[in-house]
Amino acid sequence: MSVSELTLLVLRLGFLLLLWLFIFGIVYALRSDLFGQRVRKQQPDGTSSAPPIAFAAAVPTPVPAATLPPTASAAALTEQLTARSAAPPAGSGPERATARNATRLVITSGPKSGTEFPLTSDSVTIGRSGDSSLVIRDDYTSTHHARLMLWNEEWMIQDLDSTNGTFLNGSRLAVPTPVPLNTPVKIGATSFELRR
Amino acid sequence: MMPPSNSRGTATDAGHRPQSAKPGRVRRLHLPQKLRNLELFLLLIACGINAAAVVLVQLGALGHIDTTLVLLGAGLSVLVLCMHVVLRLVARDADPFILPIASLLNGIGIAMIYRIDIANGDAGWESAAVRQTVWSALAIACAIAVVLVIRNHRVLFRYTYVAGFIAVVLLLLPLVPGLGREVSGARVWIGIGSFATFQPGEIAKIALAVFFAGYLVRNRDSLSMVGKRFLGMRFPRLRDLGPILVVWALSMSVIIFQRDLGTALLYFGLFLVMLYLATGRLSWVLLGMSLFLGGAIIASQTLGYVNGRFTNWLDALNPDVYGASGGSYQLVQGLFGLAKGGLIGTGLGQGRPDITPVPQSDYIIASLGEELGLAGIFAILALYLLFVARGFRIGFAGNDDFGKLLGVGLSFVVALQCFIVIGGVTRVIPLTGLTTPFLAAGGSSLVANWIIAALLLRLSDTLRNQPRLVV
Repeated sequence: MSVSELTLLVLRLGFLLLLWLFIFGIVYALRSDLFGQRVRKQQPDGTSSAPPIAFAAAVPTPVPAATLPPTASAAALTEQLTARSAAPPAGSGPERATARNATRLVITSGPKSGTEFPLTSDSVTIGRSGDSSLVIRDDYTSTHHARLMLWNEEWMIQDLDSTNGTFLNGSRLAVPTPVPLNTPVKIGATSFELRR
Repeated sequence: MMPPSNSRGTATDAGHRPQSAKPGRVRRLHLPQKLRNLELFLLLIACGINAAAVVLVQLGALGHIDTTLVLLGAGLSVLVLCMHVVLRLVARDADPFILPIASLLNGIGIAMIYRIDIANGDAGWESAAVRQTVWSALAIACAIAVVLVIRNHRVLFRYTYVAGFIAVVLLLLPLVPGLGREVSGARVWIGIGSFATFQPGEIAKIALAVFFAGYLVRNRDSLSMVGKRFLGMRFPRLRDLGPILVVWALSMSVIIFQRDLGTALLYFGLFLVMLYLATGRLSWVLLGMSLFLGGAIIASQTLGYVNGRFTNWLDALNPDVYGASGGSYQLVQGLFGLAKGGLIGTGLGQGRPDITPVPQSDYIIASLGEELGLAGIFAILALYLLFVARGFRIGFAGNDDFGKLLGVGLSFVVALQCFIVIGGVTRVIPLTGLTTPFLAAGGSSLVANWIIAALLLRLSDTLRNQPRLVV
């Protein structure tokens, strides 16, 4: 079987085209990475937002123990830690949230108010992107908005250059700041607190 | 109870693993694996492009389609599909782009190596393309093993110092008499008898990335917090310079004893980037770069082979340098090939990439540039860009520092290796012998890069499985 010059030319241009189509296919598939997640309108009652996976502590459903979040184990771990070490230093003003005394993040306002999120030793990423630990989907949240992290055993909140800012107790964050216990952190229409 | 429409709606959330349970036992709802289906779709296209590349090579170089080498295309396709099935079972939420991109690069590489084989008249076991396919099989088997064995990347954190020890042993292996092999001046291979040569330094880069990540997570506070301010930057204390000096000495000894400039640059660059990531201080990078540049300049003055590389780079088109033994003949032939390729190339199988020495390994990018043209080279570079960007993305979204550093370190090592070798071929930097990841002929490089791909897949899966709350 012999092929003409013209066929070869067409085939080789077709090959290059196919290669580029593949690349643009990938770029199209990851467009949410490049341009951020689509914004959804939040309903005040929260019925249309994504379902609580297993964190819906506020919803009294007969969820079996096997699917419960690791709150219980995290709490047990924290108890062990507290038992082993001395009591946290009693500073002036509100007590800072440390790895020892803070066990959960509680949403205090917004559509999912009352929901809890267990704190482990990992940092918590907050934003609209699907791979954040705490996904907040409203008009005011940036794709990668803020980060809660443990720094020298203390919980710090860092704003990741978000458009609308992160507010700790009413003031906008400029630098990573330690988070006191039971103090509201506001992102968009949602605020949360770190609690024992 | 949750209304069923709700769990349906979450299928739009990438990386969400919905679970439901009946009282008493846990049952996973069988929901469509959106990410894996996307991966399968891209993978099938990639396999199609790989097959098309082999067919085009045969049409261009032989003028007919030869069925005996269908195995080249089909073998790789079967293997990557096996890997896809494994991911479906054990890493459902892994990144869907890494596997298709790696498969496509590997397949294009095999097609190009096959094309050089045709030009050289190699067939059967002599054929580098057949050997490359066998190595790919081995590499993908290793990748599958990594995904199966390492169920959580944090296991690696426990073996930080073991990884460091393994890296040093692997680096020293080629210097062992009787085991080390010297190929074209560089003593970086090991071999038993006359066959099965292997470059342990390629595996060492993974071990080094694990070691650096673990070490820096443990010790970064002292590296980033203290020091004197000078010229607007905070410089580290003298006693904190220990690690950087050790790694610098290691890379310099690679330059001196193994005579391999590229590998040294790769290791040192990896360390600098991870140090910068861990501490966020530019002074480390400036310090490290001046150390390395100083070392490289001294080496170029004192070591003959480094000096030759610099001359070939700066004065490549001088007829004396071109004609000299160990001169710039190869470099200039590669450039001529790239120039001949032009914008859309001569077409697969229709150029003369075999004129350049070692067109299937170090110079595969020049061979591809000749036959696929600028459009093809840019497509390949875009594939690398996407691969590395996925790795950075994994590092960026990661929640634990070790995973972050490891993800970025592993993908950066691929990026840096591309830069060193493609920059060398295109005369941006002095040419040093490194393999183009996934493309070039060479078993150790394939194995190492597929293991990197597997680790990135594992990292991205663990990342998406972290506790999440959607508001």
